[in-house]
Amino acid sequence: MEQKTIRRAKTSLLLLFISVVFGLLIYSRIKAYSLAPTMKPEDFSKYSWYEVPVYFLWDYISHGWICLLFAFVTAGLVYEFVPKEIVTKYMSSSKSVGYAIGAGLAPFFTVCSCTMIPIFAGILYTGAGIGPAITFLLMAPAANILTIMITGEFISWEIAGVRIIASLITAVLTGLIISRTTWGKEVERKHQVTSQTLGIAQQATEGTTVAVVKPPLDDRLLSALKFGVYLARQILPYFFLGLIMVSYVEAYVPQELVEGYLTGLTGILLASVIGGPLYTPTLVEIVLGRSLLELGMSKAALLSWLMGQPYDIPNMVAVSRVVEWRVVLLYALIAWACSVTFGVLYGIITGSI
Amino acid sequence: MVKNVKVEVIGVEPPCPRCQATKKAVDEAAERLRKAGISLEIEKLNVLSKDVVSRYGVLVSPAVAVNGVVKVMGRVPTAEEIQRIIEDTLK
Repeated sequence: MEQKTIRRAKTSLLLLFISVVFGLLIYSRIKAYSLAPTMKPEDFSKYSWYEVPVYFLWDYISHGWICLLFAFVTAGLVYEFVPKEIVTKYMSSSKSVGYAIGAGLAPFFTVCSCTMIPIFAGILYTGAGIGPAITFLLMAPAANILTIMITGEFISWEIAGVRIIASLITAVLTGLIISRTTWGKEVERKHQVTSQTLGIAQQATEGTTVAVVKPPLDDRLLSALKFGVYLARQILPYFFLGLIMVSYVEAYVPQELVEGYLTGLTGILLASVIGGPLYTPTLVEIVLGRSLLELGMSKAALLSWLMGQPYDIPNMVAVSRVVEWRVVLLYALIAWACSVTFGVLYGIITGSI
Repeated sequence: MVKNVKVEVIGVEPPCPRCQATKKAVDEAAERLRKAGISLEIEKLNVLSKDVVSRYGVLVSPAVAVNGVVKVMGRVPTAEEIQRIIEDTLK
């Protein structure tokens, strides 16, 4: 009996904390308080070199803390509560289901390549094949919850939305193309354990191989928050280090340079090429993108810049341990071509090219 | 009578921090259960190996399987949780 009371108290306390975090975001909305930093590049001219990062960081933290807190808490909750058995049960059933799960669920499953590569390999091995595997791989970093929320709050929800749609089309298209190439088919032949795949899905549904035990709510909430803290500890040190570097970009890179090189078709091409290798899974690319936008980069180039992340180098190296390099380079090339195409289209539609 | 339970910790190789934390929780649970006369045979499996995939299908790591059934997936369990799961399996 007593243990039950303790559990109930713990659950209430945790729920209260989560409600406060959610409430803060809603309150800031109602009050129309900007969660994005408000300083402009020209504001920095009056500061000396050592004051620049201090003011820049302060600008971000004073406005952005609610958003960051909310993002990490939500990410923790989502990754804890999303039923992961779905992947095991349905991933190997059919190709179209595979694509749907690959694209639709990827954002809820991964924040780091630590879980991404195993799922990629699993999908590949169990019969959904290379197409859905690639779709999952490209969709996961492009649309994970942290990235989307920070992009939405710090830059704009328009670009966050466009980014999801563009990434979705790119991911499915790339998957479909790769699955039709001879290279892709070769990878499938080599890796699939086809004879058993139907059996696996069947067994998982029946619960003979997978029967996930759900712990009590208070334990789940606590572990969700713990995971949020874990994510923050992994990401925030690099994020703040990144902010210091970006502060110098915003303060000292001349506007003419950005306006000259990061606009028009050249801008899109340049942004898409440097966006990939520069990508670090630490949200810094969003902050840098925002600063460059402030300095005059076109929205078209910004989209290409943000879409560059699926083909970042560490990710490609990790994937190359599962499939050959030529397949990796092929999907990177297709994803890159898509990021340029969407950049151009977005530029034409919004008139910011 | 000593009861034997096979526990598989499924993670990536080299282990990521979350997989290490999972292994630690299992080790801790093993320590406690030994006192209750239950001995755990702990094995570490690579989520990327074909053997694992052909037995369990697509898994979200870290995962913990008890006597060949995946009980924990995609999250770091606590030692108490592992202990409870194993006790329930033996019932």
